[in-house]
This record gives sequence, structure tokens and C-alpha cells, in this order.
Amino acid sequence: MVKRGLDTHKTVTQGEWLEARKHLLTQEKEFTRLRDRLSQQRRELPWVKVEKNYVFEGPSGKETLADLFEGRSQLVVYHFMFAPDWEEGCRSCSFWADGFNAIDLHLNQRDVTLVAISRGPIEKLEAFKRRMGWNFKWLSSGNNDFNYDYQVSFTPEALENEVEYNYGKQKTDSSDMPGVSVFYQDSKGNLFHTYSAYSRGIDILNPAYNYLDLVPKGRDEAELEWPMAWLGYHDQYEDRSGNTKREAR
Amino acid sequence: MTTHMTGTREEWLAARLELLEAEKELTRRSDELARRRQELPWVRVDKEYRFETDEGSASLADLFRGRSQLLVYHYMFGPDYTAGCATCSTIADGFDGFAVHLANHDVTLSAVSRAPLAKLQAYKRRMGWTFPWASSLRSDFNFDFNVSFTEEQQREGVIEYNYERGGHAMDATQVPEPVAQNAAMTGTDAATYSRDRPGMSAFVLEDDVVYHTYSTYARGLDGLWGMYQWLDRAPKGRNEETGGVWWRRHDEYDKR
Repeated sequence: MVKRGLDTHKTVTQGEWLEARKHLLTQEKEFTRLRDRLSQQRRELPWVKVEKNYVFEGPSGKETLADLFEGRSQLVVYHFMFAPDWEEGCRSCSFWADGFNAIDLHLNQRDVTLVAISRGPIEKLEAFKRRMGWNFKWLSSGNNDFNYDYQVSFTPEALENEVEYNYGKQKTDSSDMPGVSVFYQDSKGNLFHTYSAYSRGIDILNPAYNYLDLVPKGRDEAELEWPMAWLGYHDQYEDRSGNTKREAR
Repeated sequence: MTTHMTGTREEWLAARLELLEAEKELTRRSDELARRRQELPWVRVDKEYRFETDEGSASLADLFRGRSQLLVYHYMFGPDYTAGCATCSTIADGFDGFAVHLANHDVTLSAVSRAPLAKLQAYKRRMGWTFPWASSLRSDFNFDFNVSFTEEQQREGVIEYNYERGGHAMDATQVPEPVAQNAAMTGTDAATYSRDRPGMSAFVLEDDVVYHTYSTYARGLDGLWGMYQWLDRAPKGRNEETGGVWWRRHDEYDKR
């Protein structure tokens, strides 16, 4: 763990702290209002009709994109990075999944179905899901163009040049990248793509980062080899519950 | 048929790119706010708080469990509630899944409530959660961090929550429907329910001294409430125009 010299931090009386805190509160409230406005703008985006018939492999057989809605009108897809030749799902995506695993049933109450989709074969997805103890629905798009069309997977040829990711050109070695896509199904069964976000656009969908944004050290990633170098699979930490009392350092 | 505007992929992309700029700007503002939070001065905690935990009686320093940073989720579970607040439960459903990651990044996330430990333990078992949860029943902790209030404060209308007096729905003379619903789900009346409030406080432990660094309440918790961030991306948004509390505890929905 990198020490950042917290011990030189300014300490004050309760009254002085309160004054500084209230000043920050004004900025936080402004941020919350901006975020609400942005959510409204997001919903005002035009929609694009989905003309292609995507068929996925699910836990109990083939399912079309329309099937994935499970009778609801809104579908949120988490593009989970799990390439066909990988033996484990992406570690960072697993971190995201730990955050949404238990909330999909709450979303269902608001007419939203949340699923994960990856290119990996369904057997691998199922095995990894069992290992991680997750409940959300996870489907394989290994036999269709879905991941390529929504710009989260790239062919070996495409990777030789810059690829289109997060609405810009960039060079990457990774065949699969993370993202979120949203679809709407109207009463006639027409499907529409409404929204996609990638890269740091899905940052706020990992609430753990919003929690880290409140603590004194913050995300504390600046001095690591890469930002998420501290991250493990939840079943591979020495202390798996976060509950164990450690020896004081 | 949908009445929403539809377009070609290119038209959508043009609108999306414009929105992307606004999203990036918001992300930068969020980073900036996080920096400002870290710059807040700290307040030394001199009071000796005692908590009841699964491991026995504990001090505030003990709640850090060997780490240098502590996040306390002020979970609404007053001594008279028959069950934990259902709204807090949806927040806890989220952090129960990732508290282990925070623990491995020098942050202990612990819930603290006023209800006696036995009630917290039973409810935690029912919900299948594993995060640490301490009872502050016999200390001033909840009152000092402005998440619990006395009947007298309530009567006199002097409750200060979220850094302002009488500004919250739970302070309204006419009880709003969501407050009444939440109260009913905890087996209490609105007044009893409203004497406990939600919040998140951050502490740091350095050379055996605990400092309070940050607290947030009310909509300050919005970004910590996983389900809302996802709903904010759905076409219907939070979809709450009908009012009232649409969520239940995860074991109270009709079907899974």
C-alpha cells in the first residue's frame, strides 16, 4: 500500500470543519443537479431501430434480443469482457459485476431487465458465474455480431489498426472492451437501441468507486503500475469477507 | 408504437457525441469533487465511543479492523424498529457485494445502527449479508454525527440534518407518503422512524488517533445507491412519477 503522507494533513475544530464542509456541500448539490439534467438529456437521445436478429446462447438455450427483455420494456446490457479463449472473466468487469449482482431484482421493479453479455461460450460463463456466486443472467454472443456491432469486440484484423471505441479511434491489444448498452422494446415488439457508454462512461456504474471518492486517500491508484493493479477476484483475496480483523500495522 | 423520436445510426451518433462531451465534463467534475473532499480539514475525535460488534465491545478505532480508513454507513435501524429500513437495505444489497474490494484497498466499510446487536445480527442473517455491522445503542455516536435525534429535538423542530435545520421530508409536519410507507415497513410510526436518518461518514486512523474527515446525507447518498445509477441510463429513467416507495427488501418481492 502506497503511503501518501496523510500525517501532514490539516486538522481543525468542528466549527471550522463545518464551514469547509458546507462550502463543499454547495458544490456537491450543484453536481447532483447537473447529473440529473444529464440523465434527462440521455433520455432525449433519438433511438435507432434494431433490424438485425441477434440470437444468444443462454443458460437454458437460444434466446433472441427480444427474449432478453423478459416481458419488460427496457433492457440494460453490461458488456462483460470474456473472450472465447479466456478461462476467466475480466477482473475489472468482475468488480463491476460484484456491484450490480444484487440489485438487478430491484431494477426489475422499474421495468428494467439487466443482463451481462460476453463472447465466451456459455459453458465458460456459467462455470465462472458459479465460481463467483452471481445470480444475474449472463449470455453468450459468441455466435453473432452483437459485440462487434456495439463496439466492444474487435477482430484480429481490426486490432492491427486503430479501432473505434468510446466514440473515437484508439489503439488497443485487447479483443474485448467493457461497456453498457440500453435497448427499448415497444408494445408492437419493435426493438430500439437507445444508449451506449464505454470506458470512464461506466465509472459511475461501479458504486465502489463512488465510495472510494469519499475517503481520505481517494481511489489511491496514481502510484500503481496501472489504475486497477490493487484489484483481485473477490474469492482470491486473503480476507474474503472484509470482515476479518487484521493485525494493526 | 413508440412516440419517441427515432433516427438513423448516424443521427443517433451525432446526438450521442454531443452528450458524450457533457458526460466527460461531469466525470471531470466528479473527480474534482473527490479531490476537494480529500482536501477537507480533519477533526480529531476525542470522545470514547463504545460499540457492540460480533467480536464484542469495540472502540471507534477497533472498527477500522487494522486498516487506515473507515467508512461508516449510518444504517437506519432504530431500537424500536422491528426490521432494518427497507430503503437502506437496497443500498446495502449493493455494498455487500463490493465491501471486500474496499477492504483490500485499505478501507473498512462498516454499517452502524442504534438497534441492539442481536436485532442487527438477526436481520443481517435474514438478508444474507456479510459486511460488519456494529450497534451504537449505548453511545452518542449516532447523535454526534447527526443521524439520530431525540423526541425532544423532534418536538421542538430543531433537527439539523444534512447541514440544515428542518429541511428534510422527514421533518415535514404533514408526513409524506414515502416516509409513512418506510415507517410501516420497519414496524414503527413515522415519528419513530424519522428519529434515525441515513448517512455516510469517513474516518482516518493515524498514530492511534481517529479523525473525522467527511459526512454526507440525503441525496448525497444518491451516487452510493447502485440501482439509481443504472436507472439513470434507462429510457424511463427512475420511473417514479407515481410517487411512493416502489422498492421492497430483496426477499419481499413476489417472485425472483
